Amino acid sequence: MLRILLINDTPRKVGRLRTALIEAGFEVIDESGLTIDLPARVETVRPDVILIDTESPGRDVMEQVVLVSRDQPRPIVMFTDEHDPNVMRQAIKSGVSAYIVEGIQAQRLQPILDVAMARFESDQALRAQLQARDQQLAERKRIELAKGMLMKMKDCNEEEAYTLMRRQAMSRQQKLIQVAEQIIAMSELLG
Amino acid sequence: MNDSVGNGPISNALAWVNGSDAPEKSTLDLGFMALSDCASLVVAATQGFAQPYGLTLNLKRQSSWANLRDKLVSGELDAAHSLYGLIYAVHLGIGGVAPTDMAVLMGLNQNGQSINLSRGLQQQGVVTPEALDRHVHQSRTKLTFAQTFPTGTHAMWLYYWLASQGIHPLQDVASVVVPPPQMLAHLQAGRIDGFCVGEPWSANAVAQDQGFTLATSQAIWPNHPEKVLGCTQAFVEQYPNTARVLVMAILEASRFIEQSIENRRSTAQLLSGREYLDAPLDCIEPRLLGAYDDGLGNHWQDPHALRFFAGGEVNLPYLSDGMWFMTQFRRWGLLRDDPDYLGVARQVQQLALYREAATALGLNAGDQDLRSSQLIDGKVWDGSDPSGYARSFRLHALADHANRQALR
Repeated sequence: MLRILLINDTPRKVGRLRTALIEAGFEVIDESGLTIDLPARVETVRPDVILIDTESPGRDVMEQVVLVSRDQPRPIVMFTDEHDPNVMRQAIKSGVSAYIVEGIQAQRLQPILDVAMARFESDQALRAQLQARDQQLAERKRIELAKGMLMKMKDCNEEEAYTLMRRQAMSRQQKLIQVAEQIIAMSELLG
Repeated sequence: MNDSVGNGPISNALAWVNGSDAPEKSTLDLGFMALSDCASLVVAATQGFAQPYGLTLNLKRQSSWANLRDKLVSGELDAAHSLYGLIYAVHLGIGGVAPTDMAVLMGLNQNGQSINLSRGLQQQGVVTPEALDRHVHQSRTKLTFAQTFPTGTHAMWLYYWLASQGIHPLQDVASVVVPPPQMLAHLQAGRIDGFCVGEPWSANAVAQDQGFTLATSQAIWPNHPEKVLGCTQAFVEQYPNTARVLVMAILEASRFIEQSIENRRSTAQLLSGREYLDAPLDCIEPRLLGAYDDGLGNHWQDPHALRFFAGGEVNLPYLSDGMWFMTQFRRWGLLRDDPDYLGVARQVQQLALYREAATALGLNAGDQDLRSSQLIDGKVWDGSDPSGYARSFRLHALADHANRQALR
């Protein structure tokens, strides 16, 4: 039976995943310790599979585990699309990364990832939508308009107007388009 | 200084948009890690530097280098703020992913990383490299040093610096990976004794009075390569015009950052925002302006502080810069055989594309593909004999296949 190390170091709740994996008959070791100790824990626990939130900063520590284990009897590798492109893609989508002892067959991993994908609380839906191209063109026109207004108001050249707008935006942690809109609004107000 | 800049290049560059050189892909997702040296990407994306080229840049902050790498390889990110060594590790198949042909579009910055020690070591009088050397060789307990990624720049600076002081980084001390935002907590708890990291995390340790800066990375190698704009080779082949105008937009943003002190200050303010570094301005601004405080009472204006442009000197993807990381992978046993150093670098470093972009902006992109530098141990690296250079160090972990067999 495969032994699973479940790394629990992000706000995502892995509690339900743990229960579901145990119910499915897997041996699960829940790891909520310090990320820095991961290499030592992997050494002690000797898991066949390690599951970690794709967004966990601890992924870089796992990278060290992968490199250090290269010459050991049980090299640990990241489960990649070389093993099974479909499973890999599904896993990434649901936000779980899997590391396995080299040689474990993809089919044996499938049921684990199925459970993980069904149970891992996904926040993928919150991702920002890509901006539409027409919106981008509109933004460019608005920035040009504001620049022209500013050149008139401050009696300055194009280069100086851009610099003024950008500095204003950056010091307020805003995008250039936001400052452009403010200039346009102000200019309309003052007529 | 201002009059050399002008908006001329921007309007000339509009020709790309109308002609057949228009970008094949107009919306790009760019990955970055929350570090001060991601500045040119953030400024380019938020301050309208890409729009004149018909490009929209979406910034995607990443939680780990491993994740950034995986997304670059899978195509979820088009390009990213990357550790120099990370791009080469992926290309050579070292680490978690299968080897994938990678590309370095341009250098994003030089300098500005540092090695810091705990207050605990300071209390034991370990405030100089010599004292550290004595401590390491005389103390019974092994010190633990953290870096940020096994094949990353911080690991290489840490190893190089320790070795230059007579300390073997893989034998005399323990080396662990810690994500930058967690460095301070581990230092405070005594789980690590020192670390090598980018800003604002070193300045933060000093500001919190938890550590001090013992060596800057620019002291190891003045104007060393650091982060690059990385992508897959497939991206460059599929979208060559996009890649070129992306480089142009980021070059212009880099130039803007260094155009005046005011611009650097407002860059620091922008970076401190919640969506970018989400860190206090007083940890970002001083070192971004070159003002160092090492936490031991020394203050100085660093002549080789973090820089993004320097007339384009920073951005040329020299073949020798890429090769250097391969020589260090070899030195520390990450590569088991000598790669075709020059051949690989020629494949990865997009020199021709970079030169097209730089020339279109009226920048001098030089005709040198190699540069010569002297590092802290006195050795000169000019890219001429990479395999000899990789073997020339007294302290190393060269792992040849032959040696490995003998060890077993």
